[in-house]
Amino acid sequence: MPALIEIKDLTKKFGHFTAVNAINFSIRQGEILGFLGPNGAGKTTTIKMINGLLKISSGQVLIKGLDARKNRREIKKITGYMSQKFSLYPLLTSLENIEFFGGISGLSRHNIQKKKEEIQPLIPRPILTQKIVDIPPGMKQKIALFVCLMTDPEIILLDEPTSGVDPEVRRNFWMEIYQLKKSGKTILVSTHNLDEVEYADRIIIIHRGNIILEGEPSELQARQGKDSIEALFKDAIINYDNQLSRTGGAECSD
Amino acid sequence: MIETKNLSKSFKDIKAVRDVSFRIPTNSITTIAGADGSGKSTIFKMLMGLIKKDAGSIYLKNEDIGSDFNQITRLTGYMPERFSLYPDLRVEENLNFYADIHQVPRSRREKLKQRLLETTGMIQFKNRRARALSGGMKQKLALSSILLSAPELVLLDEPTTGVDPLSRIEFSNIIKDLKQEGKTIFISTPYLDEAENSDHIIFLKEGKIIKKGPMKTIRKQFPARIFSVLPRGNIYEIMDQMHRHPDLKNSIYIRGKFIKYIQVSSKNHLDLLPAISVKEESPKLEDIFLYYERQSTINPEGLHASTD
Repeated sequence: MPALIEIKDLTKKFGHFTAVNAINFSIRQGEILGFLGPNGAGKTTTIKMINGLLKISSGQVLIKGLDARKNRREIKKITGYMSQKFSLYPLLTSLENIEFFGGISGLSRHNIQKKKEEIQPLIPRPILTQKIVDIPPGMKQKIALFVCLMTDPEIILLDEPTSGVDPEVRRNFWMEIYQLKKSGKTILVSTHNLDEVEYADRIIIIHRGNIILEGEPSELQARQGKDSIEALFKDAIINYDNQLSRTGGAECSD
Repeated sequence: MIETKNLSKSFKDIKAVRDVSFRIPTNSITTIAGADGSGKSTIFKMLMGLIKKDAGSIYLKNEDIGSDFNQITRLTGYMPERFSLYPDLRVEENLNFYADIHQVPRSRREKLKQRLLETTGMIQFKNRRARALSGGMKQKLALSSILLSAPELVLLDEPTTGVDPLSRIEFSNIIKDLKQEGKTIFISTPYLDEAENSDHIIFLKEGKIIKKGPMKTIRKQFPARIFSVLPRGNIYEIMDQMHRHPDLKNSIYIRGKFIKYIQVSSKNHLDLLPAISVKEESPKLEDIFLYYERQSTINPEGLHASTD
């Protein structure tokens, strides 16, 4: 599979704090990449640099060979992004959110109307006309994913899409992710629910702004003698921190 | 510590909580679990007097509180789903603020604060303003603020949403220690692996209790067998096919790399699943929850909720 996204020495600094520290990785066309890491590791910062929501301090994001900094409009067209906590407008209803996000994504009135019809069989009727603030997380998640896919993007960036939703909804969500992969989409998913990424094509673990582990889940587990991603994750973080305290190094300082 | 009797609440024509009666025993961890929208947060808010109950009673230490929530709020540290931190205060200042308003003695505060900061990885961010924290870090700070100031009763509504797996373990340990200190903890969570150490369990569905009781009894009385199947072939394709099978559709789900099979009747349908390996396992709380949830869909009147 060719690389669709290439990340080269990507760095983000907030004042003296290095949130993302010269990381390198690629996302191949048609794969599901699980993007893992503890809170504050730099996951959201990286995703926001990929889709142009955050200014890159140094390094490069190349999407289909295009520099993300210079081609924001083209990249926006082919990228769908679902943010942490499903950022929808809380005081608008689902249908109003679709109208709003459809409008700012450049969909025609006709297409927005079509999207409003397409969501009808997916969400119970009373929910569609309720304000987002009043509906359960599982439903919010469904609507946020629908909004993210409205422009039929090639690349889908999902930042903790299953956070706070119940186990049954989480599983159904992953069935949908798999369908998206089958239809040829390229997907990056960050999550704290590590059991979900057992069947991702690859995983990356980021910690303190650095990539500390990368590979295919089953291969990594076999190589390191672990029986789950969770065991792999804990081991990687603890080893990295131990090494850091032994060498006295700290890449990320306040 | 707390008991509810026939608690009910409707929002317009939606019955959010229906005739809910349960006990939160003193010095124990009680977990309430249920799907999104099952009424968990509404129950928390009714206990704190933040929304008015339509019917039913709340008892604190065996006394009906009526509509006087002063006593309950004085004894309780409550973390709602959406907790407000002070965005302009630094991490440590937020912790101190919550400890101050709950008048936590300085000796206890400093020790526990240090432990919370260290074990959750917040120590390197302790001088950062709350508004500049990542989503998960904000959640960690909110939970730490409540745990630091914990009075007698701690009510936590989905406290670990967005918190990373290592920190979730640390929080579980701190909650267990609070119980050792004599506190009473009432917690809701979508992560049932976190609830394995609870003393009492309440399963909620569509505003009604479908099962409740001491954890030991619930485990002992669990009537089904659980098998873990490592599938041969693509797990999602297999699940898609098997969901169409009447004997399997309510009995299987994915957990990690395995398909879990819940054998309800004497007939076993494992032979329908293409498998590399099959292993019987003792049921996890998540298996037990899913069993009762699905049974209540198939046979809503057939369950006996209480094992008290």
